[in-house]
Amino acid sequence: MRLADEIKRLVRDAKVIIDPVVKRDALKELIDELEKSETNRSAETTPSVWRIIMKSRTIKLAAVAVIMIAVLLGLPFLPKSMTSPTLADVLAKVEQAKAYIYKMNVKVTGPVMRGWPMGQDMTGTVTISKDFGMKTEMEMIDPNTEESMSQEDYIIPDEKLLVMLMHEKKQFTRTELNDDLVARMKKQNNDPLELIRGMLDVKYTELAKSEIDGIEVDGFETTDPTISSGTTGDVKVTLWVDSESWLPVLVEMDMSINEQTRSRITFYDYQWDVPVEKSDFVPVIPDDYEAIFEDMEWPEMTEEAAIEGLKLVADLMGRYPKQATIVELMAEISPIMFKRIKKDHPGEMTETELETKMMEAIQPVYPIGLFYMTLVEDKKEPVYYGQTVSPDEVKAVLLRWKTSDDQYRVIFGDLSTMDVTTEQLAELEN
Amino acid sequence: MEDNLLIWKLNHGSADALCRIYEKYRDDLVRIAAGLLNNMSVAEDVVQEVFLTLVRSAGRCEIRKNLKGYLTTCVANKIHDLNSKKSAQNPVSLDDIEPAASDSQEPDQRVACDEEFENVYKAIAQLPYEQKEVVVLHLQGRMKFREIAELQGTSIKTTISRYGYGLDKLRSMLSSEVER
Repeated sequence: MRLADEIKRLVRDAKVIIDPVVKRDALKELIDELEKSETNRSAETTPSVWRIIMKSRTIKLAAVAVIMIAVLLGLPFLPKSMTSPTLADVLAKVEQAKAYIYKMNVKVTGPVMRGWPMGQDMTGTVTISKDFGMKTEMEMIDPNTEESMSQEDYIIPDEKLLVMLMHEKKQFTRTELNDDLVARMKKQNNDPLELIRGMLDVKYTELAKSEIDGIEVDGFETTDPTISSGTTGDVKVTLWVDSESWLPVLVEMDMSINEQTRSRITFYDYQWDVPVEKSDFVPVIPDDYEAIFEDMEWPEMTEEAAIEGLKLVADLMGRYPKQATIVELMAEISPIMFKRIKKDHPGEMTETELETKMMEAIQPVYPIGLFYMTLVEDKKEPVYYGQTVSPDEVKAVLLRWKTSDDQYRVIFGDLSTMDVTTEQLAELEN
Repeated sequence: MEDNLLIWKLNHGSADALCRIYEKYRDDLVRIAAGLLNNMSVAEDVVQEVFLTLVRSAGRCEIRKNLKGYLTTCVANKIHDLNSKKSAQNPVSLDDIEPAASDSQEPDQRVACDEEFENVYKAIAQLPYEQKEVVVLHLQGRMKFREIAELQGTSIKTTISRYGYGLDKLRSMLSSEVER
């Protein structure tokens, strides 16, 4: 009589002979069925994705504001060590000014993102008060309609508020800023000229003396990409200061937004120590203006929110975004989102409605870029591998940053996280 | 974790994920189905039906336990359904409606296996269905008695008893095969 264990082994090991032709044909049938159901399924599965996306309330212009603020105010989020007596002198002079006004021109060549409603050429006035906040009045021409658009934005850190008035449309929005962003803004005194501090902390060169509008100026220039806090690609910042007063006269920033797009931002016509009052920074909203999308919230800039964003992108595209800088991120995701929405709503919406919907849908993706930006600003040396790591690479490092001298935080391909030592990281990245 | 990712990708229409799931589990599932049915072509059809159901549910497929366990349970349920339908059409016992493990079966219907396992499948085929189910699902499908009990709608004790009886019968049959 055979032993029970032997019987168990016999049954366990008993194999059948598989007919490879039957197996191959059966698999082909399954793949065909998958392709067939993919066509039928897209409309069915999309709501589950959109249910997640639509939880976040926002609007097209707020979407733009996120990018604009990330790009423009991303610049100030820089460390403050001082290594150069010359630039430090400029900084000392600027710091003495409690309030100032300057003009700003933004020229964008190439597409920023699908549905970007700003003109390719924007000009405006910025008023900054270290006590009360920041006010921006911008005029732009919509390149599609050639209509003029004007917009006033107020950032009021004490009230944690971003208010935007769209005059032609007679609409306004109020967005609550989160504590993290406000803390960062307060730390920087809402001052875009923090880029001077940034320049002090990166490699820069002193330029030969020059002349601007009859004023003798000294120049400083940097091409160190860390100056833009990971918000852009390559960048060149040139600062010209009055040789006599040591106050800035002109700042020019030339940066790549994405592969096809460059942006050139110029700050000029500075007026220093202008008298301002708190009321200058309180938005006056005419009675006939309609509040749109109230109770909006600024996207989170946390690790958790970034992971959620990555999850959403992976869910949508089956891969992670190639870059984590906010503008490149938006340039990559927005056309895909747009196509998806268009496919889901065939013939139901105008192009503008589709773009607005896309702007709403893309909201949960912002935290990826914003969180990455904070890591760069905080000098945590983030490295992002979205170009090579896919969601099924469970133990591949997707994003990592430094948390202390010999410790790193890692987000893996499966979006799990871990704190590792330098040695462990080296092994993981090997 | 890999299975969760494969399901996640399948939910997003990945043919690669489908191929990987298929390659990973199809043969084992056919083996289990063949053990339960003692009929190769029906076993292949049942497994194909299970995969087709999986593919058609892509996009909304949620698998909380392990994928192999899920697929094995699907195969077992499908065979249950098949037997129930046959039973309803011909009110006879489950064992009566199964093809007997004899040479009278059409060659393409027999379980295709190497010679050394031929007697094993023949012996399994002689077991009452409930015993056969426990033995095959536990030994070949690596399912726990608790899971099989849930599937059979019985207590764990009954399931374990069926396993014991089934194993004893197999032991008896296979030993006499050898002794002959």
